[in-house]
Amino acid sequence: MQPCSREMQGINALLNPPQISLQDLHDQQQQQQSQIQSSNIHRQVQNSHFDPTSHDDFLEQMFSTIPPPSCSWSDLNPAKTPAAWDLNPRDLSDDTAPLNPDNNNNVAFQFDDSANLASKLRNHQISGSAKSAAAAAAMMLQQQLLMSRGVAGAGDSGLIPMPLSLGSADDNVDGSSSFKSPNLGAHDDSVQALFNGFAGSMHGPSQTPNQTQHFHHSQGGPVQGQNYGSPGAAMNQAPASGSAGSAPAQPRQRVRARRGQATDPHSIAERLRRERIAERMKALQELVPNANKTDKASMLDEIIDYVKFLQLQVKVLSMSRLGGAAAVAPLVADMSPEGGGDCIQAGGGNGGAQRNQTASSNDTLMVTEHQVAKLMEEDMGSAMQYLQGKGLCLMPISLATVISTATCHSRNPTNRSVLQPNGGEGPSSPSMSVLTVQSATLGNGTVDASVKDSNSVSKT
Amino acid sequence: MNPRRSISSNPASTVKSRFTNGFLQALLRINRQRITSTTAYTPREIFRGYLRVKIAADVSMASAIGSRRAWSRAILRKVRSHGRDGAQVRRMSFLAMRKRNLYGNIKCVEDAGFHQANVLRKLVPGGEAMDMCCLLGETAHYIKCLKTQVKVMGRIAEVFST
Repeated sequence: MQPCSREMQGINALLNPPQISLQDLHDQQQQQQSQIQSSNIHRQVQNSHFDPTSHDDFLEQMFSTIPPPSCSWSDLNPAKTPAAWDLNPRDLSDDTAPLNPDNNNNVAFQFDDSANLASKLRNHQISGSAKSAAAAAAMMLQQQLLMSRGVAGAGDSGLIPMPLSLGSADDNVDGSSSFKSPNLGAHDDSVQALFNGFAGSMHGPSQTPNQTQHFHHSQGGPVQGQNYGSPGAAMNQAPASGSAGSAPAQPRQRVRARRGQATDPHSIAERLRRERIAERMKALQELVPNANKTDKASMLDEIIDYVKFLQLQVKVLSMSRLGGAAAVAPLVADMSPEGGGDCIQAGGGNGGAQRNQTASSNDTLMVTEHQVAKLMEEDMGSAMQYLQGKGLCLMPISLATVISTATCHSRNPTNRSVLQPNGGEGPSSPSMSVLTVQSATLGNGTVDASVKDSNSVSKT
Repeated sequence: MNPRRSISSNPASTVKSRFTNGFLQALLRINRQRITSTTAYTPREIFRGYLRVKIAADVSMASAIGSRRAWSRAILRKVRSHGRDGAQVRRMSFLAMRKRNLYGNIKCVEDAGFHQANVLRKLVPGGEAMDMCCLLGETAHYIKCLKTQVKVMGRIAEVFST
């Protein structure tokens, strides 16, 4: 049956994007699983008369008994209304009205006609509409039939959670072949496999009608893609589970040994662990900016720097609330050695707007400059104290250039002797940063600081 | 993934709102303390005040998360056992390290990120007792919460600095 395989491939082509959303659905549906399971068995056969004469009417009756969508699907597709039936717009518009509010009018289809229904479904959809939506819808209904029949007949067979996997081309063929199986009663294995796979991804027949509804939306390509994902995945998993794990699946909940690899538990556990770590690293990559590193070590470095940066931001923010430039000074002095490579630019001591910049240490010095400028407006002594606390001093720019060129490799003695006559006090610590301050407000003072672009020379 | 989403869907009880409420209450409390006590401007007093605000921020963040995460539990544990001696804390961390090594990451030294993992463990609260896999997960959640914290605190600072 050529159309079937083509439609199957068409469905599978759309499977790739929505996998994650399906996984979310998966989780959501698992919550409702227990409730739905209990209500499953108590369903009544409401629609006992199927008119097999006209295919359109038949489908109309099938669809009219499908309960309205649950909230999880409506969350996904807020723009979609459950009442839009594209397949038979003229017939179904009246029938869908009374179904919307009540979620409990779920029905099981009549089991006597299930074989007839399935064959007629297939005939109808093959001869009828050219949309692949119809094919998938037909398959959905067929599986719903099977499932409700399986539930009523076999009791609570349990919903086996199947991992959502995108099958390969082999699975395509298998899926279409299992779909083509004409006699549902005879091939119980495939039926049960279909049922298990379908139920595993659907977790309740009340979900399936929602999908059949959404299949009929001509608009919203990605929506259709989403909806195709689950039945396609279900159909792919049924043959995958049936073929005893020889296909190289990529499961999320179960680990299967691939062909040719060792199957001893140690390597499997090792592989599992590595996969989990890779997953977490990928999640972290999204959180951390500048995360385009492919190397694991550099990625870890980036993560570490970012955590340090955020912690530093919290510290600065908690400090800024205390108010007052003089209060800020010793705290900044406390914090500057913790800054590390990435420092933030705090907007003054009064908690100005925080600007998030991962800048070099130059920005820290610019912050210090602003602080010093502010302090100098109030009191020179506090400004000098602040600088001293940071291990800095004020000096004329000409001297700074001389020092930077001359004392690149030397340490304390030269610096001190140069700095003392200026009145600026050299720090007692061996590491020293020379700061030239651009201060527009500082006219005359003990230090002749010219107004030009400040260069920060830091030697550590 | 699920409980976080179901909680965040209710606007009255997102992590952000819980943290904001807790933090503002703590700030009010601290302010009342500062008014009653002498306002000292010595560096030591200022540092203590800053530390109080920072601890308040961390604790309110951890309480907003609750006991769902290992790092929030670690923060709350640290705060509750603040008065006890440091020796006990060091002993606990040593035991935690042994537990981590027992739980299966015996090959951790040969892995590529061992040294960074150690640094990360010191950064993330409660990271001592975790193997690499849990550590990365905790780090991701911790980064998210830190971002929220920074955003909220920045907003508060903006509002109060006018």
